[in-house]
Amino acid sequence: MDQVADSPAIALSGSVTVCGGARCTSARCQRVLRAFEVELTRRALGRNVRLSPSPCRGFCTAGPIAIVHPPGVLYCRVQPEDVPEIVDQTLIQGKVVQRLCYDEPEAHRSLVSYQDMPLFSKQVRIALRNCGLIDPERIEEYIARDGYAALGKVLGEMSPEDVIREMKASGLRGRGGAGFSAGAKWEFCRRAPGDLKYVVCNADEGDPGAFMDRSILESDPHSVIEGMAIAAYAIGASQGYIYCREEYPLAIDRLEMAIHQARDLGLLGEDICGTGFRFDIEVKEGAGAFVCGEETALIASIEGRRGEPRPRPPYPVVAGLWGLPTNINNVKSYAMTPQIILRGANWFGSIGTQKSPGTAVFALTGKVNNTGLIEVPMGIPLGDIIFDVGGGVPHGKKFKAVQTGGPLGGCLPAAALNTPVDFDSLAEAGAVMGSGGMIVLDDDTCMVEFSRYFLTFAAAESCGKCVPCRVGGQRLLEALTRISEGHGTRKDLQIIKDVSTHMMSSSLCGLGQRTPGPVLAALRFFEDEFITHIDEKLCRAGQCRALVRARCVNTCPANVDTPAYLALVAQGRYAEGLAIHRRRNPFALVCGRACPAFCESKCRRGEIDEPVAIRLVKRFMADHEFEKPWTPEPIGSEAERAAAAEKKIAVVGAGPAGLTAALRLAQRGYQVTVFEKYPVAGGMMAWAIPEYRLPRGPLLAEIENVRRAGADIRCNMALGHDFSLDDLLGRQGYSAVLLAIGAHRSRRLGVAGDDKQGVIDGVEFLSRVAGEATMRAAGLPADAPLPDVRGKRVAVVGGGDVAIDVARSSLRMGAREVHVIYRRAGDDMPAAHLPEEIEAARQEGIRFHTLVNPAEVLGNGAVSGVRLQQQRLAEFDDSARRRPVPLGADSYVLNVEVLIPAIGQVPDVSWLHGTEIARHRGDTFIVDEAYATTRPGVFAAGDAVTGPATIVEAVAQGNLVAAAIDHWLKTGQLVKPHLEAEREDVPQVYDLAAYADHHRPATPRLPVEQRDGNFREVEAGFDEHAAQEEARRCLRCDLEWLDVMKLPRPGIGDR
Amino acid sequence: MPQLKNLEELQQLCDEIKQAERVRRETSTVITIGMGTCGIAAGARETLQAIEEELNQRQIDALVVTAGCIGVCVREPLVDIQQAGQSRIVYANVHPAMVPRLIEEHVVKGQPVKEWVVGRMPSDEPALSLCR
Repeated sequence: MDQVADSPAIALSGSVTVCGGARCTSARCQRVLRAFEVELTRRALGRNVRLSPSPCRGFCTAGPIAIVHPPGVLYCRVQPEDVPEIVDQTLIQGKVVQRLCYDEPEAHRSLVSYQDMPLFSKQVRIALRNCGLIDPERIEEYIARDGYAALGKVLGEMSPEDVIREMKASGLRGRGGAGFSAGAKWEFCRRAPGDLKYVVCNADEGDPGAFMDRSILESDPHSVIEGMAIAAYAIGASQGYIYCREEYPLAIDRLEMAIHQARDLGLLGEDICGTGFRFDIEVKEGAGAFVCGEETALIASIEGRRGEPRPRPPYPVVAGLWGLPTNINNVKSYAMTPQIILRGANWFGSIGTQKSPGTAVFALTGKVNNTGLIEVPMGIPLGDIIFDVGGGVPHGKKFKAVQTGGPLGGCLPAAALNTPVDFDSLAEAGAVMGSGGMIVLDDDTCMVEFSRYFLTFAAAESCGKCVPCRVGGQRLLEALTRISEGHGTRKDLQIIKDVSTHMMSSSLCGLGQRTPGPVLAALRFFEDEFITHIDEKLCRAGQCRALVRARCVNTCPANVDTPAYLALVAQGRYAEGLAIHRRRNPFALVCGRACPAFCESKCRRGEIDEPVAIRLVKRFMADHEFEKPWTPEPIGSEAERAAAAEKKIAVVGAGPAGLTAALRLAQRGYQVTVFEKYPVAGGMMAWAIPEYRLPRGPLLAEIENVRRAGADIRCNMALGHDFSLDDLLGRQGYSAVLLAIGAHRSRRLGVAGDDKQGVIDGVEFLSRVAGEATMRAAGLPADAPLPDVRGKRVAVVGGGDVAIDVARSSLRMGAREVHVIYRRAGDDMPAAHLPEEIEAARQEGIRFHTLVNPAEVLGNGAVSGVRLQQQRLAEFDDSARRRPVPLGADSYVLNVEVLIPAIGQVPDVSWLHGTEIARHRGDTFIVDEAYATTRPGVFAAGDAVTGPATIVEAVAQGNLVAAAIDHWLKTGQLVKPHLEAEREDVPQVYDLAAYADHHRPATPRLPVEQRDGNFREVEAGFDEHAAQEEARRCLRCDLEWLDVMKLPRPGIGDR
Repeated sequence: MPQLKNLEELQQLCDEIKQAERVRRETSTVITIGMGTCGIAAGARETLQAIEEELNQRQIDALVVTAGCIGVCVREPLVDIQQAGQSRIVYANVHPAMVPRLIEEHVVKGQPVKEWVVGRMPSDEPALSLCR
């Protein structure tokens, strides 16, 4: 379509473009174009209005599109019939035809808005107001968002004193971290004698993990330029320097570009906007020394000298750059200045807290979901930042601590999550605001190693000028290194404390003064971790390389040599692998089905793709050898065992702790008798875990192994009923008694009506259901009737393993509906450590009610329902979870006929009357390091000591208490037991790289339809091929450890 | 642009630019790509190239703007698409392979690709609504 010819003398007064891209075959566009041509001619506008086709701009489904200038409006779905109206209303009268305007489709509006995402809704963006929204390389876009309007206001309407007054009134405290009043600093500088003054921006940002300043410089450099210009006007300077580390090339580029564009426009340079004010900025690149973030060292660097601090006073505001008054502020302080001027001090003061007004910018990094930059009002609780804005800790890990203030700051633990984040509250809590780095740590972080990391950095950055920092830093580092490598002593802790005190009081500048910050904070909140490293040479987090051969072994409560048996399975050597496993855990068949697999939660392969399916590989290995009976090997020399054979030891309770202890003692030669209350041994394994999780064949087989070692297991013998403690130690002549009675007594619900008919105790419920399976497998008649839930609506209260087991069992027993009631949020359920269980429960149709708590059990004699009180999540508790509190009076009634509380268990100590065995408040036994109770000769282990835990933890205790009892019987001494760290170095026989892209297979499971109404085992194991392939995904961290320790790797011929 | 001679000219320039920017956005498709160091490290340059190529190939005249970092660094490269000055729909982890579908479904057909969307910034002054 040709343009309508026009005479050059007549200026165009408008234009219309109609989409007509070459690709657009829509004939409608052509018709619209023609309609405009006709109408424009008719209205004699042909010469004044340029009509042309435009290239496609998208919107094709909303076409034909016509864009009309003036006023610059886009019309959609334009029909030829609409054209006269457009020409008349818009071109001639200047009005917009609303009905033709682009209407945002529902598909867009239904998308979640930033206002509704905690990531953004809790933010207030002042320093970051333009970041990510404008092109930093175009000054126009900055100006379009009120850029330089503040400078204009300052130059046109305010005196320097007015500016200072406004800044003081706003209460802005230096965002570099020291928190000194910016307005007061500007005032000091203004009042300092002299005509030549400087404005400096500290953009060194040396903290590792901090990138707030870099981001502002890269994304909105003009905000800093404008802020500096305003400061210069206020203090009477005409030259400014931005000290930016040269490791920020993009920031420097964009700064230079911005400065040039500002100069071109006359917003920097001589006679700015004709006001007579002159100001220009030069960028000075730092050379990477952390100490140059300290203002006097920074000044030295600009002057061309080596970056070293000097004593203050005199402060830079009086004598700074070249001895002249200099105002130094951080990037963020300048970036906020224009907004403070435009919107006023009151506005700024209305955000944040009274003593820390405004916002703070944080670089949120580490173990947090939403890593990046955020800006929040001062005073926001720390937990809100990490869990709401930050989205919490990924991969289901637990929050451990958060480091603030970078390498010179300190950490805060879960107990501090409710602390408001502002200068003073953080200081009171013993932490530091700093420039804004915030590093979140989870339980995979070792506090010793973490503080060593920061100390290494700070010590390396010491400029060397003063002795406390130069030498002190080295001494601290040496002590910490010794601790992390397993050579630390208690004296090292004292060294750390002493040297830190000296450094803090005598170092010349903040670098030396605050270098001890991180390690002192770590010691303050996590001292036990340091002590564990020193006394036990144990790094629980699994980070200190010298102490951690492999994270799986390290984290397994029983320290089973996992890399060894995985490597053996990879080679098809199952019997050998199983033998290694049994050295620490005799229940391979059971744990291969029911262990929460702490090993997998720490598996390094999990950082690449998925953790190795250790539990299922173990299961295959144990299943493969099922037919071969195991006679446990003797432990100790013949002479030792002969001496032991003269002693009798009684173990009360045949759960995993008791059975394991009995096994180890029998292996050492003692005469062991196990007294078990129930008709069949096994503890929770037999009397709580349902059959669909643990078939009884494997369980009974592994209990038989304990008998084969020589232990005498006597069932139907209850302590306090069939025999007493005095009897055992006295008349029956046992040298020692181990109480491994577990925690089988349920907590009551504790609400009105919790004794109605139809309320069944959770553990009691399971003992009947699981017990029936156990009795059946042992060939015995059931001794208690199954609970009656067929056709009924069942509600289970609780969120742990017992609750889920009860729920899934009820369903299989024909319950009409099964509900699980939990008072916190779903993610906080303890059973979440077995995510497959909860997932399976949902798949099977169990309904979860979270954030509700039973308030009352309803019914006339028998249960008819339960009133559930709605909860909301309030402040954080020490477990880093938000505490549920009642939400007003909101409640609802769930109609059920059966209510099963499963809210925790305690040991049954009803038989204890009179005996001198001390207990904790929850009835668990108080034991010393040797597992000895307060009664001589009586030891305790397992859930009876720890409270409800897991099978593998009970097994670990069984190993240890057996060693402790053995030592006591031989020497009369009660000492902390120590097991020999046996390890097998199995050679690597295949190419690990070949398994780089192998993924963990899905757990083979019975389809949901096939689980209905039966207790068939839900999980199937791997087949041989799958097990071997999975075992080969192991990264063999144990071989890397040999390299680190400079030990030889095993050759192929070795084992 | 010539040097500003007085504060009135600054004000005038501001008004003019605001108007021009508003019109630009309201009459186009604007595609913004985060190009802070986080974005670049995540591949934003390649994404930008892919976007320009795709627009070229389809002969679509959209406004391609590079911005800095909005702070969701973990989801970079971030690309937001705004049509006729309405909401900015923000896409996360945008790699070159995703670009053709974004252009086809969102830019041309007006259908956002839901599974890649982070969120939506409503109104044409989004940051001010984040800045109470």
